[in-house]
Amino acid sequence: MKPASNAMIDGLKSQYFDLDEVGDAQEFYHSRGWTDGFPIVPPTPEAVQACLDWVNMPANEIIGIEPVRERAIDAEKLAINAVMAGCLPVHFPAVVSAWMAMLKDEFLLHGTTASTGGCAILLILNGSIRQEIGARSDFNVLGSSDRATSVIGRAIRLALINILQVSPGAIDRSTLGHPGKISYCVAEDEEGSDWSSLAESRDIPKEASAVTVLAAGAPRQIMNEWTSKPEEILDTYAAEMRANMRNYSIWSGNYVVIMPLQHREHMRVAGWGRKEIANYLFEKARIKRSEWSTVGKGSVVRDKGDTEYCALPSPEHLLLVAAGGPAGGFGAVIPPWLGTKSQAVTVAIGACIDCEPPSPKQIK
Amino acid sequence: MTIRVLNPTSESVIATLNPAPRLTSLEGKTVGLISNGKEGTAGFFAHVDKLLRERYRVAEVVLRIKSNYSAPAEDEIIDEAKNWDLAISGLGD
Repeated sequence: MKPASNAMIDGLKSQYFDLDEVGDAQEFYHSRGWTDGFPIVPPTPEAVQACLDWVNMPANEIIGIEPVRERAIDAEKLAINAVMAGCLPVHFPAVVSAWMAMLKDEFLLHGTTASTGGCAILLILNGSIRQEIGARSDFNVLGSSDRATSVIGRAIRLALINILQVSPGAIDRSTLGHPGKISYCVAEDEEGSDWSSLAESRDIPKEASAVTVLAAGAPRQIMNEWTSKPEEILDTYAAEMRANMRNYSIWSGNYVVIMPLQHREHMRVAGWGRKEIANYLFEKARIKRSEWSTVGKGSVVRDKGDTEYCALPSPEHLLLVAAGGPAGGFGAVIPPWLGTKSQAVTVAIGACIDCEPPSPKQIK
Repeated sequence: MTIRVLNPTSESVIATLNPAPRLTSLEGKTVGLISNGKEGTAGFFAHVDKLLRERYRVAEVVLRIKSNYSAPAEDEIIDEAKNWDLAISGLGD
């Protein structure tokens, strides 16, 4: 290997290394703690520049600033990590937009990535970009469903590790973590659903692609194949939300419900849409603090046993996602990291509505 | 065949702050405790308070609790800390 240098490469300012063999790259990156343990794609200047060209961003474009530690995130470093994760240029816009969302104050990125609670950052994709990148929304949707969602989710984690030092034992103080911390990205099945998309329900225009980010626990899978009544199906989802409130965290926040086709079909036949489902779960996903005593947490009930807690601060806090394979009465509840301390953020992909400071004329 | 690859980590030079001058004694001083407010902190900081007063003869111990234990302390707490001789933070889970 030749000595490292910081010389300019086609506008890129990152330090570069000339390795003698292509095969050296894996151990070079692993040995420096720059991976998640899986092999990476060597981030060559050409591959990185191709990602930047795709989003039409200069290398030094500031995507945002992590507000607690005041660290600027620039496009070049994101592109390097995206390439390492396996992203093609076409995947990069989703990575950039997800980071823009993660850097909003209300997301509390530092807290979510440092917490012992061990949440991951879940991405939910909406709009035409899903088809452009070949994201799948059906079989194995919470697993390795397709290349696009796998590499986009992984790019988020590698960038956290490398740009913000969110590696285990450094900033990341997770007691357990969960497999979503490798990659956690889902595309909504908009074509297989007669609902408006999740992004539309969060005020993104129908024509725009969007990404929603949430600091999220692991999926909790449920099963109910023995009824077609919406109330009974949703009672199972609500029970899982209540279980999470008892066993993990009682605080209300953005809960994700992943609803595959079989359950959605029962909803459709009964005329239940997003609003009806959210209203029902808002009413049903509630526990009293006294229920803590049934799961070994009686010592913190104190004199508040009759206080009622709702999983959702409002029905609008439910993130209902149509996704999953066509057969099976399954579904999943994905709980928030910690109530409303971190809030879900949705941004349009490739749109920049308020990223420039207002002109003097606008201020007047 | 050689291959040129890039550094994925932040290479920004982070500005460092100089630590405040160290105290030679705690006697007669005002000490602030910034708690993250988690369940276990009540007993912990109560004991720290007791030790500071009894063992180190601290004049006053001020306890302030953050409203969000995963976020930085509020500006009001930071402003108040300017009146303290010593602050203890970053503890309690």
